[in-house]
Amino acid sequence: MSKMGISTYQSYCGAQIFEAIGLNAGFVEKYFTGTATRIEGIGLAEIAGEAALVHHKAFGDDPVLANALDAGGEYAWRTRGEEHLWTPESIAKLQSATRTNNFATYKEYAKLINEQGQRTKTLRGLFEIRPAGAPVPLDEVEPAKEIVRRFATGAMSLGSISTEAHTTLAIAMNRIGSKSNTGEGGEDPARFKAIKGGEMLSEIIGKNRIASDRELKAGDSLRSRIKQVAAGRFGVTAEYLANADQIQIKMAQGAKPGEGGQLPGHKVSEYIARLRFSVPGVGLISPPPHHDIYSIEDLAQLIHDMKNANPSASISVKLVSEVGVGTVAAGVSKAKADHIVISGFDGGTGASPLSSIKHAGAPWELGLSETQQTLVLNRLRGRVGLQVDGQLKTGRDVLIGALLGADEFGFATAPLVVEGCIMMRKCHLNTCPVGVATQDPELRKKFSGQPEHVVNYFFFVAEELREYMAQMGARKVDELIGRSDLLDTRKGIAHWKARGLDFSRIFYQPAVPPGVARLHAETQDHELGKALDNKLIAKARPALDNKKPVTIESAIGNVNRTVGTMLSHEVAKRYGQAGLPDDTLTVKFKGAAGQSFGAFLARGITFELSGECNDYVGKGLCGGRIVVSPPKESRIAAEDNIIVGNTVLYGATSGEAYFRGVAGERFAVRNSGAVAVVEGLGDHGCEYMTGGMVVVLGRTGRNFAAGMSGGVAYVLDEDGDFEMRCNMAMVALEPVPEEVAALDGADVEPEGHGRVHFNHLGKADAVALRGKIEKHLRYTGSARAQLILDNWARYLPKFVKVMPTDYRRALQEIAEQQARQKEAE
Amino acid sequence: MGKITGFMEFSRLSEESLPVANRLKNYREFVLHLNDEQAQTQGARCMDCGIPFCSSGCPVNNIIPDWNDLVYRGNWQQALEVLHSTNNFPEFTSRICPAPCEAACVLNINEVAVGIKSIEHAIIDKGGENGWVVPQPPKTKTGKKVAVIGSGPAGLAAAQQLARAGHDAVVFEKNSRIGGLLRYGIPDFKLDKRLIDWRMAQLRAEGVEFRTGVFVGKEAPGAGVANDAQKTVAPKELLKNFDAVILAGGSEQPRDLPVPGRELAGVYYALEFLIPQNKEVAGDGKNPISAKGKHVVVIGGGDTGSDCVGTSNRHGAASVTQFEVMPRPPEQENKPLTWPNWPMKLRTSSSHEEGCARDWSVATKEFIGKGGKVTGLKAVRLEWKDGRMQEIPGSEFEIKADLVLLAMGFTNPLQAVLDAFGVAKDARGNARATTDGAGCYRTSVDKVFAAGDMRRGQSLVVWAIREGRQAARAVDEYLMGSSLLPR
Ligand SMILES: Cc1cc2nc3c(=O)[nH]c(=O)nc-3n(C[C@H](O)[C@H](O)[C@H](O)COP(=O)(O)OP(=O)(O)OC[C@H]3O[C@@H](n4cnc5c(N)ncnc54)[C@H](O)[C@@H]3O)c2cc1C
Ligand code: SF4
Ligand code: SF4
Repeated sequence: MSKMGISTYQSYCGAQIFEAIGLNAGFVEKYFTGTATRIEGIGLAEIAGEAALVHHKAFGDDPVLANALDAGGEYAWRTRGEEHLWTPESIAKLQSATRTNNFATYKEYAKLINEQGQRTKTLRGLFEIRPAGAPVPLDEVEPAKEIVRRFATGAMSLGSISTEAHTTLAIAMNRIGSKSNTGEGGEDPARFKAIKGGEMLSEIIGKNRIASDRELKAGDSLRSRIKQVAAGRFGVTAEYLANADQIQIKMAQGAKPGEGGQLPGHKVSEYIARLRFSVPGVGLISPPPHHDIYSIEDLAQLIHDMKNANPSASISVKLVSEVGVGTVAAGVSKAKADHIVISGFDGGTGASPLSSIKHAGAPWELGLSETQQTLVLNRLRGRVGLQVDGQLKTGRDVLIGALLGADEFGFATAPLVVEGCIMMRKCHLNTCPVGVATQDPELRKKFSGQPEHVVNYFFFVAEELREYMAQMGARKVDELIGRSDLLDTRKGIAHWKARGLDFSRIFYQPAVPPGVARLHAETQDHELGKALDNKLIAKARPALDNKKPVTIESAIGNVNRTVGTMLSHEVAKRYGQAGLPDDTLTVKFKGAAGQSFGAFLARGITFELSGECNDYVGKGLCGGRIVVSPPKESRIAAEDNIIVGNTVLYGATSGEAYFRGVAGERFAVRNSGAVAVVEGLGDHGCEYMTGGMVVVLGRTGRNFAAGMSGGVAYVLDEDGDFEMRCNMAMVALEPVPEEVAALDGADVEPEGHGRVHFNHLGKADAVALRGKIEKHLRYTGSARAQLILDNWARYLPKFVKVMPTDYRRALQEIAEQQARQKEAE
Repeated sequence: MGKITGFMEFSRLSEESLPVANRLKNYREFVLHLNDEQAQTQGARCMDCGIPFCSSGCPVNNIIPDWNDLVYRGNWQQALEVLHSTNNFPEFTSRICPAPCEAACVLNINEVAVGIKSIEHAIIDKGGENGWVVPQPPKTKTGKKVAVIGSGPAGLAAAQQLARAGHDAVVFEKNSRIGGLLRYGIPDFKLDKRLIDWRMAQLRAEGVEFRTGVFVGKEAPGAGVANDAQKTVAPKELLKNFDAVILAGGSEQPRDLPVPGRELAGVYYALEFLIPQNKEVAGDGKNPISAKGKHVVVIGGGDTGSDCVGTSNRHGAASVTQFEVMPRPPEQENKPLTWPNWPMKLRTSSSHEEGCARDWSVATKEFIGKGGKVTGLKAVRLEWKDGRMQEIPGSEFEIKADLVLLAMGFTNPLQAVLDAFGVAKDARGNARATTDGAGCYRTSVDKVFAAGDMRRGQSLVVWAIREGRQAARAVDEYLMGSSLLPR
């Protein structure tokens, strides 16, 4: 029941995080004082009536309920249970329509969804649409191929869905100029390559990674145009970001606000682990919050980081429909996002926790209208594109989204149904029998989705929308965006619980002069022109173009934010993840760096800073090296003083960092492959870490290694009390064994990619640790490192090795498997 | 749910049938239900789908995933309860239902469907053996009287539901035994008639009264329609003595084949052959028609045709040939396009396995005979284009036949019965009534309801049960203002 950061029952009491939907204001004021309720609805009499109804059922003579509970049907469909929009009939019709490219059957499907009759299932089902003018001929309405560009598929990660399902969506969306979304699991760089035509999918992704192959056509692309950046930061590298048309910062998910994504261990295959820089078989939980966002300013910083990571991509922020989202959206628009997604509650997969499938989040109709109204009123609407998602299924849904203010439309479940999903709600069990939401190769063989079917679906939706537009007299979608005055409450809704609903606040249009934008019409100024990186890039040309070694010297001040990120983008664009050869480009800075110093720093670049840093140093580090030490002339004791701020190396995937001094809080959170040496830490070090190596040559703060499921940390525990500050839920503490691993010729250097690392099993610990400290000494001139190395025999026993238990288990399993394989050969 | 990975571990095990040679010697059932362990393993294959398509494919909407799971866990008695909560007579459906549920089963998309029907069979047989099927008489009686006309599955289901709701249900049946086509039509080897008697005992104990040999109407039915009635009751009288009437008289008018030679001896409607056979097996006198040593031609490729084939073979026919006008359906359906619906595909019934030549796209032109007795028939081959048929010139052929059985379906219910009540009919001559919303199952005449084949036309036992149940609820609502009977 832990949601929205609330983990105990007591904390829910009076937390005011709830919103009432369908209760009238008088009732709410009296019994749930202070809770928001926006569409009025029933009151005490109806609630009492319903309670009596349920009581009567329980204690009456109903023969069906004599010995059994009601069929229910809330989560799984039941004939006599709760009404759902996805029914055997609607699913069968949609699949048949798209497989046979039959628009007539699609319309039967759309009718089932749109005309809910007395089975009132969505807010929009209670709306009616008024004409904008006299009907226009259908052929004067904007063509479907223009309309589909406004469509996107939802953020479903490879991991939650199979490679086959994920690539099918990407192929389909790219064929029609729409956008697919990576979801939060990273993306295989192999998918960024252009397709010549005739290749098999397995040739690109890998033979043993595709269970159901397909031939690709010339011009196809497997690349997801939207790259998501979630709190887990799985696989978020400079190359990943460089290959985006849009970067979507997921603040929350409509279906489960305040919760992160969850991928159970059995779905983490070798491939998925590789993409996410984690360990096969070890479950992954995205932390609910982004560790680099604690305020709107932090979000502005992240937006700025992302823009630097890819200046040509639009930066999107995904919010959930909840009361107050309008204010948040206004802030996001001011924080220079180019795009906002309002996500409704009924999105989300069967993998969501049961407690989140219902009663979490709010319908998109509410959040979208609030966002549109607030943005228009504050004259911020024109700066951002607005997308809505959450169980959009038909052209009518799109129409209502547009009237309430959306420029673009996200679809998740419907295209999956088109690909074969039959709403098993078994996503979390890895047993999806149609190969959509499973990683089991045997089941993935059964995947039968085709990009053509997905294309058919989106064209059907667009055609249906066109028919509505022709009827209501609109030629362009733009004419309809934000025209909530064309919506009305449906007449003759007989359901007794629908009485008293009042949508006037949803349909309200803010009173602003006609010139004020109500749709996306302007571009944000991200002020990239002022970036220090422009100078660095200019000087680094020989390195960038010809891999020639270059050394640059530069002053730096705290106005210089996100230094090195645009530079890394230039590297990633040219060389991808491989980057430049080590030590090609060295930049020596002097001064106090601003936020996000060296964010996403690419391989081959070394940043040496003589001075100090703000927060977010080495955020998303991917291959570069960052060295920070106090100026030579400084006389402070480096090992006792803070030298880098909070949230350093958050989401780092590879590379190295050496800090001569102490770091702030949340050091190396979600690190999945970088190696770092530091002389002391604040609280929450190595939280949620899944790979890499952290060496702490001093004290740590509390809650070290919370949620850590991979990688290792070595902490120098001089006082012997480290265990008290370490969160022992997922890790074990052990001494550093002294065996000499060089015996079996093991590579002592951690691979640095977050890949599974056998040395972590303990053979080469002492050697690896010593190697890191020696490097630290070499790069930073650390007195502390010198002392430890000089007295190695005395210090080594004081190091504690922090080893995640799951990681150890997974490594052992893989080692055994490899041993078996060797034997077999 | 069953076992999470059950469908990946276990393959489908179909029910075992006795060898053809054995079963042709008698009229006993030859399909053996799964044993406990087998049924449990089959239950483990169920995936407990988020949307159980099986359940919407099943006309009585059996809550299949729930009882599959209960069987998997060995909780048989509760499984039976869940099964009975939607289906009055699983002993019938688990034997003779074509199982549209299995066509709709999610596992059927790319695998072999869960053996739903065989699990249903195992549950009810176990319930019967253990005496778990006991009468559920109502706690209180309403004092209302309802007449049910016809004792087929629709009438029986309606009567049982009405009795459980406390009404006095009286079933009128023109034939000498209760059961409709279950009793007289479907052969004993597909459905052991003792099951009907067993179920009747339960209905009686719940308060249902049966009156056999009573025809309700004015004029007796015409040729080709079975009628053992000794007594006729006029609709008017019925309406006077009862608070409501349900018409559940089936769709009994057989489709004829009016070609030259139809009048020859040896050309019969299927039921003229099958019903006396049921009676013979029940010890009620010998079947006047024998197929022994004869060349039998069955016209019509459906269930009824199959039953004629099976019965002819048990008689010891010299040969059995079955003609169908429609083209031969594909061996395998195109599942992505047909699922979850009932697909057109070649179906080989157990009777076909017992020996039969099948021919498709054939139309009979004429029966030929000698001395007033049929000796053969003339037929022609057809070509089907875009759903229209055309005779192929020069493809006429003759075939030897001493016995011809017309199994071309039933056109509609007995019009005389509907007319006697004066109820409005639909375009196909069925009693007109809707199935959903206010006033469902009510005919145009006050107090008179209709269900089963009499309302929907020739159909299936499981549909008849559904309609009987739902009509009972409609009647209960009509009589009492509201109803707790499940639909
Ligand atoms: C040979 C054959 C085989 C079949 N096999 C199958 C099968 O394998 N599976 C399957 O699901 N379905 C099968 N069917 C179809 C199935 O039997 C029917 O759909 C089902 O029995 C219809 O049920 P009912 O209650 O509506 O009518 P019926 O079963 O036809 O019962 C109607 C009863 O009403 C009586 N009646 C009619 N009028 C009057 C009157 N005026 N007064 C008194 N009594 C009257 C009749 O005598 C009859 O007994 C088969 C049908 C036939 C003919
Ligand atoms: S009654 Fe027929 S359709 Fe329903 S579960 Fe039984 S076999 Fe399947
Ligand atoms: S559709 Fe098949 S697998 Fe799914 S619940 Fe029904 S019987 Fe089980």
